[in-house]
Amino acid sequence: MSRLLDQTFRDAGGRVVSALAAAFRDLDLAEEAFAEACARAVERWGDTPPADPAAWLFAVARRWALDRFRRRATAAAYRPDDAPPEPSPEDHVMALDEPIPDERLRLIFVCCHPAVGPEARAALTLRTVCGLSTAEVAAAFLVPEPTLAQRLVRAKTKIAEAGVPYDVPSPDRWPERMDAVLSTLEVAYAQAHADAAGAGPHADYAAEVLNLTGLLARLAPDDAEVRALAATVRFAEARRPARLDTNGAMIPLSDQDPTEWDGRLIAEAERHLAASATLSRAWGSPPGPRALQAAIHGAHAERAQTGRTDWPGILSLYDLLLARRDDPVIRVNRAVALAEVEGPAAALASLADIAADRWLPLAAARADLLSRLGRTCEARSEYDRALSLSPAPAEALFLTTRRDQLPV
Amino acid sequence: MQYALLIHEPHAESYPDGDSGQAWRDIIAAHTAFGQEMGAAGVIVGGAGLKNPDTATTVRVSASGRTVHDGPFAETREQLGGLYMIDVPDLDAAIEWAKKLPIAKTGSIEIRPMLPPPPQG
Repeated sequence: MSRLLDQTFRDAGGRVVSALAAAFRDLDLAEEAFAEACARAVERWGDTPPADPAAWLFAVARRWALDRFRRRATAAAYRPDDAPPEPSPEDHVMALDEPIPDERLRLIFVCCHPAVGPEARAALTLRTVCGLSTAEVAAAFLVPEPTLAQRLVRAKTKIAEAGVPYDVPSPDRWPERMDAVLSTLEVAYAQAHADAAGAGPHADYAAEVLNLTGLLARLAPDDAEVRALAATVRFAEARRPARLDTNGAMIPLSDQDPTEWDGRLIAEAERHLAASATLSRAWGSPPGPRALQAAIHGAHAERAQTGRTDWPGILSLYDLLLARRDDPVIRVNRAVALAEVEGPAAALASLADIAADRWLPLAAARADLLSRLGRTCEARSEYDRALSLSPAPAEALFLTTRRDQLPV
Repeated sequence: MQYALLIHEPHAESYPDGDSGQAWRDIIAAHTAFGQEMGAAGVIVGGAGLKNPDTATTVRVSASGRTVHDGPFAETREQLGGLYMIDVPDLDAAIEWAKKLPIAKTGSIEIRPMLPPPPQG
């Protein structure tokens, strides 16, 4: 298949599958119908897709799904216990407007329902709403493709059998449900961001998460936490070009050259961050955890303008964050700021009661603090510990270099 | 869709005086009110409260046959204490009811979609 067709299918996939799934209340049927439409497109289009490929694919997929649905309904009609007459999915489909209705928000809520396991949520969202292939999602999550396929099947079965509604939740359930959506996107983005090299499938995949948070911000522009996550992902992606040195080793944030950051993404991020702050103030609510995270990224980004980092400001944001949720990830990141404000000894002490022997971020942070304190032997064994915890190649190279630079 | 709401509670902690104590009387009263609320909403299909797990007898089935034992099926901290069967539009509605369900101290409410009843006759 040509790259052009591949890209066309990818671009149309999320919207078409979401619209069909929302109408038929059946994810499998929607995916099958879309695959069928793509197969026909390959036969019919040759090398030139029609003017509106998504509309073409949607029309063909809808007809196929409707036909399949009718045959299934006929087969089911012979069952002794007839289902009570509800408005049938067929009615919904007949009522569908062209152009394709944008049902992606609805599908995001379906895929990110708290009744679906957190790992499966992220995979399912990327597969269904972003149109990534099972192989691509599997590569991003570093699991074998059959394992991921099985996870997706289990999640879809759960959604169908347990009666997860195909609806955007009502306002009273919105905060809780949106929180599940946002944590799902955080899981998805963490997966993409973990590897500084961003090579192969990861680069595409991070772009999809970027698009998805942008989409969500357009669909729910008045949710402060949604805008905050959109900001965070943009700040983080903006730094991608500066995350590797010429040898391919990771460069930590405070050592990066800010002129290599993507100014356009930072500007977008700042727009979302400002909107998030305005919304929080308008609602009279304290900034949420994601708004604080975004503000921390924003403070780091200021170095591009001011040439310096406001470490005390960043530390106080971490303190606020920690007051909301005592999370080891936050504590390790706070220690980095604390080391700049009060010195490495205070930072090391602040990590003393995290009991996690085999956790890479902690080992890496401790190694750095110990080396700055001149406790070379301990630093070396902490670097070794970190290296034994399967860091991504770019981080491994960074840790090895730092370890080998320790005085003998 | 029909769902069963299965109520699991740490019975000994929740009802230290068994089924003659105040905690027990309170929970029975709370369930009576809850059942009425569900009845008024037209969602309840059935259900049952269960007596103290100390009263349970278990028939264990294995390859070598069926044997009778004293006690509930598993010695876990939380035990099945009762169930409601409800008919609501979707899982979110079932979750809303489960969140309102009376629990004495701590516990869990498992929501399970029910199979359609077997054909009659």
